[in-house]
Amino acid sequence: MMNMEHRAPVESTSALDLSLASFRYEDSESDILHGIELELPPGSLTVIAGASGSGKSTLGGVLAGMLPRQGTDLCEGTLIQAGQRIDYSPEHSPRIDIAGWARHVGLLPQDAGLYLSRIRQTVAEELVFSLENEGMPREEMSALINELSARLFLGHLLERDPSRLSGGQERLVAMAALSAAKPSIIVLDEPLAGLDSMATSAVTAMITRLRAGGTALVVLARTTEAWEAEADALWNLEDGTLRPAAETARITSLHARPKESSVVAASAKPLLAFAGVQLGYKGASAPVLSNLDLEVHEGECVGLVGANGTGKTTLLKAAAGLLKPVAGKMRVAAGSGLLLQNPADQLFERTVAREVAFGIPKKSIQRASVPMVLEQLGLESYAQTHPYELQASARRLVALATVLVREPRLLLLDEPTEALDSAGLRILHEVIDSVLERGGAVLFSSHDERFTARTAHKVHELRNSGRAHEDLDGASPADAAVAGAFRTMGKLKSPKQPEAGIGHLASIVPILTSETGPAVPPTCPRSLQ
Amino acid sequence: MKRRITELHPFTVLCLALFTVAVATAANVWWLSCAVIVLCMAIGAVAGKARKLAALSGAIMLPTLLSLLMIHGLASRDSSPVIAAWGPLNLNFGGVEIATALALRTGVLVVVGLLCGLLIDKHQLVAAIDLSPAPPQAGYLLASTLFLLPQMMEKQHAIGEAQALRKAGTGRGLAGWLQRLRLRAVPLVLSSVQDAHDRSVHLAARGFPARGEHSRLRQVADSRIQRGVRWVALVCSVLVPAAILVPFGGAA
Repeated sequence: MMNMEHRAPVESTSALDLSLASFRYEDSESDILHGIELELPPGSLTVIAGASGSGKSTLGGVLAGMLPRQGTDLCEGTLIQAGQRIDYSPEHSPRIDIAGWARHVGLLPQDAGLYLSRIRQTVAEELVFSLENEGMPREEMSALINELSARLFLGHLLERDPSRLSGGQERLVAMAALSAAKPSIIVLDEPLAGLDSMATSAVTAMITRLRAGGTALVVLARTTEAWEAEADALWNLEDGTLRPAAETARITSLHARPKESSVVAASAKPLLAFAGVQLGYKGASAPVLSNLDLEVHEGECVGLVGANGTGKTTLLKAAAGLLKPVAGKMRVAAGSGLLLQNPADQLFERTVAREVAFGIPKKSIQRASVPMVLEQLGLESYAQTHPYELQASARRLVALATVLVREPRLLLLDEPTEALDSAGLRILHEVIDSVLERGGAVLFSSHDERFTARTAHKVHELRNSGRAHEDLDGASPADAAVAGAFRTMGKLKSPKQPEAGIGHLASIVPILTSETGPAVPPTCPRSLQ
Repeated sequence: MKRRITELHPFTVLCLALFTVAVATAANVWWLSCAVIVLCMAIGAVAGKARKLAALSGAIMLPTLLSLLMIHGLASRDSSPVIAAWGPLNLNFGGVEIATALALRTGVLVVVGLLCGLLIDKHQLVAAIDLSPAPPQAGYLLASTLFLLPQMMEKQHAIGEAQALRKAGTGRGLAGWLQRLRLRAVPLVLSSVQDAHDRSVHLAARGFPARGEHSRLRQVADSRIQRGVRWVALVCSVLVPAAILVPFGGAA
């Protein structure tokens, strides 16, 4: 697995001990990480929180044996795992066999899609990809798939093409595939990002089960908030080192209330209107959305929620003009701009400034506003940086800048909070407010309940009625309770049951009653909610 | 019948294709080549792929036939009767005969190859190689090759959508197509390289490509009859052309 002179048998009760004096990338001028002492007992849950660029993913890479890269990065420290000791020094970095190491320490990256091989036709095959490469007999793999699908409600996805999954489904499948390999330590980079409530419950339930089975888990997250009740250790990664997280200090700024903005007048004109619209893709056997009725008015911020794969992105793409309705009427009365879920899809220039100006005629007024937009989003210092070199949060803001520079009156945001740190979130709130203040409208999809509750005037839920029933088959009582709650919620809010497998806009009244008090009519100002 | 054809083991289809092409090429008889092409079309029709097969074959064979006619038909120097003449150029029977014979042989190769491509599921083929005694690298190489193009197509579609959102690359006609090509090419290559770099470390962590014994969840149906057919086809692919081409007993 590694050079013999650098490993020695060691007795330790921990699943993994890390003592990292320093870590520096080849091209950086200072240490990214230093003075880190981390002990991971079997069955423990360690949460490491930090802003974008704090070094969380680097720490995850060190734990997973992917860093330091031999001969390039500078690392000094000791890693003890499964009785093996690895010493890193500036003079010598042992070469770690990643495949061998991954049997003990598995890493789910922030972009979960990268974990999927993309060379298997079905999700079922993707789940056991690692086990195929280890030569596990087919019968054992089939049994494992059945167990995983029952536990994680993946039954409806098993025969799907992994490349056709939604962002949240992709994350869930990648995590299931990682756990199928049964490493003794699992490092999860933002495991709940983009997951719907049911998938979140399934993932947290799986984490509990894995811990009960002795697996040590490390969660790298934006905040410790969602994990405080369960975690054995809470850390903040600040200035390259770990500090115990103080619960009282948690994310005071993260969900800071955006300044109150425009009142949605009763006479406000609709900027976007769907009437009986059916949306689908060429060659697909069934439409993604049907019987869609929705209006978004001037000064209004509307949220779309719903399980992964119910058609939220499809709806946004249609509103942006990328998809024509198969049936029904759609009217867009203003210029629209769409922030895609994956910023990598939206960035293709060699500097941030060029990226934001891409596609804008040279003599256009909009081109002159590029520096202003960069300043608004706090990106002015990155103007000459390559977008791929930025941290995830900054990259997301660059993608947002490419939309804002065109001054859309109808701003469409697909999972806008994904990958954003607290500073980024604050900027996002400001952007939304500024669009609403100038008489525009915002339509966004999100699984971030807190963001949705605090930002949207109205929230619509997209439902896929076939899912809850299908997923409950074979579930444990605890899992069934979780899924049952999800189903009950859906029944209460949906006046009629939609066809199985097709997403519908289930509600045209605000559905945030459980979190924010009485339902607020669409014309109510946000400040009153 | 359709199910039987599409469920054939990929190696069986490949062995039969090899045998057909080898024999038809060696025999060089017009009616045999025509029979093979008609048979392929019939199999394609049964498998529900006739239209695609005809369209793809036509797209390849028409330019091929035209170029063969230009090379052999117009430039033929034999003394056979002239069919048509345009100044110094003329089309004679000898030239047409050679061009047709070559086109028919090429046609067999093209139609059989395309039929194989349409009948064989690429995932089944990769699984069949993985489950065979071939080295694991063989499946890896084939998978990388077969799945690269669809992935790049998806990526260029995503880039196209993002550019369309920014009103770039939305022109029509040939100029619009060329503009889209120019705008998408660099981001496509760069993002593909980045994606391959990011994904490779996780593929390695998942043990791919397998170094030793490996298995597959996917089952590839096979039978003793199919195995027998494959061996016979392989042996005949060598023996039959040899019997046709090699002069035995002093025959010229």
